[in-house]
Amino acid sequence: MKSITGINITKSYGKDELVTEVLRGINIEVHDGEFLAIMGKSGAGKSTLLYQLSALDKPTSGEIYIEGKNIADFSETELVNFRLFTLGYIFQDYALIPDLSAEENVLLPLLMRGLDWQTAKTKAQTALTSVGLINRDTNLPSQLSGGEQQRVAIARAVAGKPKIIFADEPTANLDSISGHDIIELLHDLHNKGQTIVMVTHESEYVEYCNRIIYLEDGLIVPEKCRLINPLPNYANTYLTTGSTL
Amino acid sequence: MRDLRIGLFLGLRQIQQASLWTTLLIITVILFTFLNLVALSGILIGIVDGALDQVRSEALGDINILPLENETRIKETERLIDELKTYPEIASFSPRYTGLATIEANYKERHSLSDEPNIIAVNITGIDPIAEKETTELENIVGEGSYFDSTENGYILIGKYNIDRYAKQFGDVFNSLDNVYPGDTVRVTVGQESREFIIKGIIDSKADLVSVGVYIPEREFRRMFNRADYNANQIAIRLKPGYDEKVIRDKIRDSSLASLGKINSFTEDIPKFIIDVRKTFDILGFFTGAIGLIVASITIFIVIFINALSRRRQIGILKAIGITRRTIEFAYITQAIFYAIIGSGIGILITYYILLPYFQQNPIDFPFSKASLSISLNGMFLRSIALVTVTVIAGFVPAWMITKQNTLDSILGRK
Repeated sequence: MKSITGINITKSYGKDELVTEVLRGINIEVHDGEFLAIMGKSGAGKSTLLYQLSALDKPTSGEIYIEGKNIADFSETELVNFRLFTLGYIFQDYALIPDLSAEENVLLPLLMRGLDWQTAKTKAQTALTSVGLINRDTNLPSQLSGGEQQRVAIARAVAGKPKIIFADEPTANLDSISGHDIIELLHDLHNKGQTIVMVTHESEYVEYCNRIIYLEDGLIVPEKCRLINPLPNYANTYLTTGSTL
Repeated sequence: MRDLRIGLFLGLRQIQQASLWTTLLIITVILFTFLNLVALSGILIGIVDGALDQVRSEALGDINILPLENETRIKETERLIDELKTYPEIASFSPRYTGLATIEANYKERHSLSDEPNIIAVNITGIDPIAEKETTELENIVGEGSYFDSTENGYILIGKYNIDRYAKQFGDVFNSLDNVYPGDTVRVTVGQESREFIIKGIIDSKADLVSVGVYIPEREFRRMFNRADYNANQIAIRLKPGYDEKVIRDKIRDSSLASLGKINSFTEDIPKFIIDVRKTFDILGFFTGAIGLIVASITIFIVIFINALSRRRQIGILKAIGITRRTIEFAYITQAIFYAIIGSGIGILITYYILLPYFQQNPIDFPFSKASLSISLNGMFLRSIALVTVTVIAGFVPAWMITKQNTLDSILGRK
């Protein structure tokens, strides 16, 4: 079952002669329960691809289906609701709301989903417990370390049990110990069946993934793509389909 | 409802975590805008109201009885007075008798008939000094000299605009007596009869009506004018505190007294042009207040815009994690309402507990009025509503501008 299907995705910026093509025809599939790493050098288009796949941006051309729905068909309001109920995000610099405590950061999207305060609070506490931060729930982000903030961000992303979590270089701002902790957390989530798409440039963390796709100049480089821990039933598909992995 | 609830929550958290200086700045801007709205128009209207209050307290009283149409005097004044005494709402009243006379000063120093006489024509008023003292402030506005002593005869009070040293600032508007002081003797002539009076005091009122008057005790007036019937030309009535002039006026009108004289409340006796001036000042106050409102709204807009702009990335993140634009806009509206309510609230407290008592104690001394702040509760409420509305708009627009930007552009700080 496919979580995400991207067909011939292109993304370019600028106008006329100053157009920069960042993605040049990406075909990609992400399957349910898969932990996919997107790798590549700086400027290869990794984050841009993640933004397209995660419905934070719209491609210049091509189609993207998430959970079978073409995101181009969504109005802005529908897109916001879709992101709220279906997707979770982890950003490189944590992206917590500085005015809210750790617990409030986690429960905010839950309240938005229509949960009452008490239920949202309980779920937020559960999520914070799962990332080992239950005793820091009243702290503001500024009172937490980088690793702790990223764990709050993970708790926020997972609290609503989204179908897919997108992580944009979640360990880039962390020391190696904290980085490992974060990857372990993502790995645990994946082991519980969570679909995760992660951009990273740190090769030591990819061993936890099912698959790596490698980008160069806006294109997938098949030779550098790897299956690390193939998902059952998909083992033969990836490497035989070129850029349509 | 969900958007509103979460917007309120986000807004309150932003207020809690906001810079104290920013919060104080916005609240101060709103406070001064409110004071500008209230105080300026309040003083403008206060000038008129101050003048009216003086006319009420120094001349007309709360209710005024005048002769009926085509009559020169109030009929059966003695019966009317007896009736008025039965009204528990009436604190006091003062019958007045008026007639035309001339007053000549320094006539003993006039050596030749060709010398120009120091003489003026006046409308002279006969009063009962005690009744007048109980009804109006006439006693307290004697500038030079003093008020009548009820046991004395042969004294006169002259309004300051009949005296040259006071009236000359108005050019030739008033005919006035030159070189006249309390203690001087003047000659009052009615028809062929003349009588000397000693000037007891000079009436110094900002109300022209009072300052152009000349007053003598009523028994001397009636003797001079040969008025034996006691029918007065005017009766000023002062009500006890707490009674509404219109209610008591209607009560008197409903009695048989209405057939004896025309019974008007003070408000009815205010000339239309004064009401027009009051309205004009109100409009002027509104316009200056409106300009203040615009300036305040721009200031609040800039402050909240900068605030929202500096939180542009957060707004993008909020949208990314599924928070609707409307929720984020509510958060900024919540902040704006908070600032507006606190600013207006402090403004109301300052107005009621500092400005109003201060100006009541220390009215501003304008040439024709002592003005204090004149602010109605309705006016204050309307101005508060206007300020809150403008602030909400000024808070909403920047939030709307930032939230409508592309989510990813906001997160990445791209233009």
